[in-house]
Amino acid sequence: MAQSANSSTTHLTKSPTLAALLSLVIPGAGQLYLGARNVALAIFVASVAFIFLIGFTLDNFRAGKIEIGGVETSWLWLLLVAFWLWNVWDAHQRARGKTTTRLFSLGIPILLIYIIAWQVTDPNFARLVTRFSDVQIIFNALIHPDLLTRDTETQAGATTIWVPCSEPPQTAAPEGNSGLPVGVNKICGTVGDTLVMAGQGFHPNTTGNVYWLEYNGTNEVQIRAAGQPVLITTDADGKFTVSFEIPAFAGREGLDPTAPIAQGIQARFTQEVGPLKPSENFQVLVGSIAQDPAPGWMVSLGLRSPTDTVPRFVPGGIFVTIGLGLMATLISIIVAAPLSFFGARNVMARVRGGVIIYYIARGVFNIVRSIDTLIWAIILVTWTGLGAFTGLLALSIHSIASIAKLYSEEVEHTDPGPVEAVTATGGNLLQNIRFAVIPQIIPSFLAYSLLRWDINMRSATVVGFVSAAGIGFYIVESIRKGGYREYAAALWCIAIVVLIVDYLSAYWREQIVKNENKISTEPPKPFYKTRRGIFYTILFALVFVASWNLAQVDLGKLFEPAPTFVSVLSDFATVDLSIPVWEQITRQLLITIFQALLATTLGALVALPFAFLAAKNITGRSARTRWVYYGTRFILSFLRSIEAILYVSIFVFWVGIGAFAGMLALSITTFGLIGKLFSEAVENIEEGSVEALTATGANRLQSIAFAIVPQIVPPFISYAIYQWDINIRLATIIGLAGGGGIGQLFANYVGQLQYHKAGAVILSIVVIVTLMDLASAKIRERLV
Amino acid sequence: MLRVEHLTKVFPNGTVALKDVTFQVPDGEFLAVIGLSGSGKSTLLRCINRLIEPTSGRIIWNDVDITALSQTEMRNVRRQIGFIFQQFNLVKRSTVITNVLTGRLGYVGTAQSLAHYFSKQDTERALNNLERLGLKEKAYVRADSLSGGQQQRVAIARALMQEPKMILADEPVASLDPVLSHSILKYLELLNKEDQLTVLCSLHFLDLVHRYATHAIALKDGQVVFQGLPQEIDDAQFKAIYGQDAQRVSII
Repeated sequence: MAQSANSSTTHLTKSPTLAALLSLVIPGAGQLYLGARNVALAIFVASVAFIFLIGFTLDNFRAGKIEIGGVETSWLWLLLVAFWLWNVWDAHQRARGKTTTRLFSLGIPILLIYIIAWQVTDPNFARLVTRFSDVQIIFNALIHPDLLTRDTETQAGATTIWVPCSEPPQTAAPEGNSGLPVGVNKICGTVGDTLVMAGQGFHPNTTGNVYWLEYNGTNEVQIRAAGQPVLITTDADGKFTVSFEIPAFAGREGLDPTAPIAQGIQARFTQEVGPLKPSENFQVLVGSIAQDPAPGWMVSLGLRSPTDTVPRFVPGGIFVTIGLGLMATLISIIVAAPLSFFGARNVMARVRGGVIIYYIARGVFNIVRSIDTLIWAIILVTWTGLGAFTGLLALSIHSIASIAKLYSEEVEHTDPGPVEAVTATGGNLLQNIRFAVIPQIIPSFLAYSLLRWDINMRSATVVGFVSAAGIGFYIVESIRKGGYREYAAALWCIAIVVLIVDYLSAYWREQIVKNENKISTEPPKPFYKTRRGIFYTILFALVFVASWNLAQVDLGKLFEPAPTFVSVLSDFATVDLSIPVWEQITRQLLITIFQALLATTLGALVALPFAFLAAKNITGRSARTRWVYYGTRFILSFLRSIEAILYVSIFVFWVGIGAFAGMLALSITTFGLIGKLFSEAVENIEEGSVEALTATGANRLQSIAFAIVPQIVPPFISYAIYQWDINIRLATIIGLAGGGGIGQLFANYVGQLQYHKAGAVILSIVVIVTLMDLASAKIRERLV
Repeated sequence: MLRVEHLTKVFPNGTVALKDVTFQVPDGEFLAVIGLSGSGKSTLLRCINRLIEPTSGRIIWNDVDITALSQTEMRNVRRQIGFIFQQFNLVKRSTVITNVLTGRLGYVGTAQSLAHYFSKQDTERALNNLERLGLKEKAYVRADSLSGGQQQRVAIARALMQEPKMILADEPVASLDPVLSHSILKYLELLNKEDQLTVLCSLHFLDLVHRYATHAIALKDGQVVFQGLPQEIDDAQFKAIYGQDAQRVSII
């Protein structure tokens, strides 16, 4: 707006023709000549970026490829021409004090970006339908996760038959009936003959199957008709009759009438009996009870005799994960709290040379946190080897940097008044921090730490992908073995644990904000003398020790790096930026960025209607629709409680390895996350304008369109851009599970021991994530 | 005796806050500093204990040149000068007694204070000071549960912990209503009379100046435009300080 006002005052002195000509030669030059510097820069940068994008994606992804007279080119150049022409027109209009429509200035670039994003990600939505029957096995598994089981009881009866009939036919069936009494209507037969089988004495009203047993009894096959198993059902008296054909399996040994073979037919009923109990898989996931010999101290105290056993809980994968999340959070709080003061400008400005330290600290925080936990884990494996401890280190490093940044910002936002007061009493810098700063920041530090606990818990569920410990590792293993019921069970465990942590973290954060003000006239007892204090200290100690053990903390490992560690590290540091590597990286980065863009768009579009269903002020009010509110909320929470990388395997199975699978996985978590953010935006709308419209006689839909929509569009766009930022971070690792993009390239390079190329990948990730971070913050600032 | 000589403060952005300010304050005086907002009152008071570094000029207190001291020496001088702020500047989430005890930080060792260890005498002194200001029963309450006037009394108790020889008060009653203004200024008057503390207090309202101050100086655009007894501020003087459009108002 300022620009147009600006140009309207200068249009008398500047020529529209010259402006247009300048813009024709160099995009943006005319606008620069007219004094609109920001617009000029934006147009110029966009033009250069489009030339590069169209050229690069034509070569690498055949984006928009067409053939004209034997020359291959991209029709996307037409869009660039359109943009160029708009820029000339805009310069001309600007010089006359007018503005041009946003339809072109924003529309053309957005159209171009989405077309390229589509070509780069290579989506194939048809597969979602055509291969749906394949993926049903996973959906079935999700409904029937391998967690609980019952004991089974089998009832069977078998009879025998000759195959084939001899000349002359046999007079008696072969020996060898077993189990409950059953019989067939023939004593011999050939493949394809119809048999009628009858039996009695079974449990009434149950369903079973018929099996053909090979002559030596080692092989068996279930009898089918038209592809489906033949079912037998008993009546109220426990009797049954069933007819079927002799399967081809029976003739495997050749049909020699001179040497008929005795074969068996078995009716088998398997029934679940007894109560539900944890399955073996449950014990691996959650834990089991082992019986250990009584420990020495119990024996010497006379509590147990040496031959006795004591039960011990053997924690499963999910507990290792919980331990990792807790321990990483504790470590990062302890390390980040002091570090954060180096990243706080208001503190460092008081120290000589402190501002330099401030910039260094902030820079390090940002670089470290732009590299995902999983990538840290891959790097750290070269130092401390596989295991839970490496996962802990990776979680802690990423968490320290993230939380230190938040803490620093909080320190910067403290009220300077008390600092001035403490300085006036003669307090020094340290005393100032202790008495004026720390009391102010404790609540927000606690809140951020709880939030980080939630995030760490989620990251801990996937860190096992790399560090080979915890539930992430279990998931990798079960997918490799094709055990989708085990995979489903793990997802359920993760969802339950993450939802609990999510709830606790949010509840405690709310309590901190509320923080009731206790009025007391007595000096408070030191906390170690109150009952609460003692209880929490003991609880904390127990949790700490348990987490320490679960995370297999082994500080010794830090000082015994793998023998190749130094050479690996120097390999990482000597970044390979040769042209072929650079081209590979650019290619994969484009995939990552555009995959994230499409996932954000798709997730946000699908989330849009659900956001209204999950908003308290829309559906949560009347008892009739409240179930919609809670139901939608639950679906959103459930979907976002599972990390995107864990969804990848479903989509890899469904649509095949590649960026499309990764994009779909990202869009699921996007749906969960952005649905929640959107619904909060809907909840925050001002009721007044809705009321005013209702008063004019508008109906519910009209008031949504005219009172709610205008209020929520800016926050929606802002959240969507924020989500794109998050999705780019997630997309950097999605390739580790087959979702395409830069993560896959990184894993390949590390797998091929080409660490100098892997180092270049990390560098590129740091650059792109930081740029996106800055850009998204800038854009959102302007939107709100 | 406090002597301010040719004190000038130019902020990095070029604003001249104080221009060649010179005046004297004998021990035991209650000096009111008056002037419009932005006339340099706050800067002057903050320069005296060097919360703001003066650009040029000298401040001599009991024959010590404050402007020439190192940061460490300055800490020792600061603990003898109490400072009362307009916004109280309490740590709102800490208890009242912790806020009062921070006034002792200039005396206790760093390591000891970081562990929040204060001697029995210090704690008793804190309780006594609170009693003197009528707040003993609020000692273990969080500071943000107090009213504005109570918070300012806590701030005075904090200043008293320093065992100050002089108190600088920067608009101590500007955030309070008229009744509370009198109660706070009465406490300052008490300290001035009973404990013989020198008080430098910037004030907005002239009737408060008449009622409590023994001397007054007036600042306008960073320069001293009046120096003398409060009663000497006549209408002409008043217009010179506050501008032609100003009207005298009084509070209660």
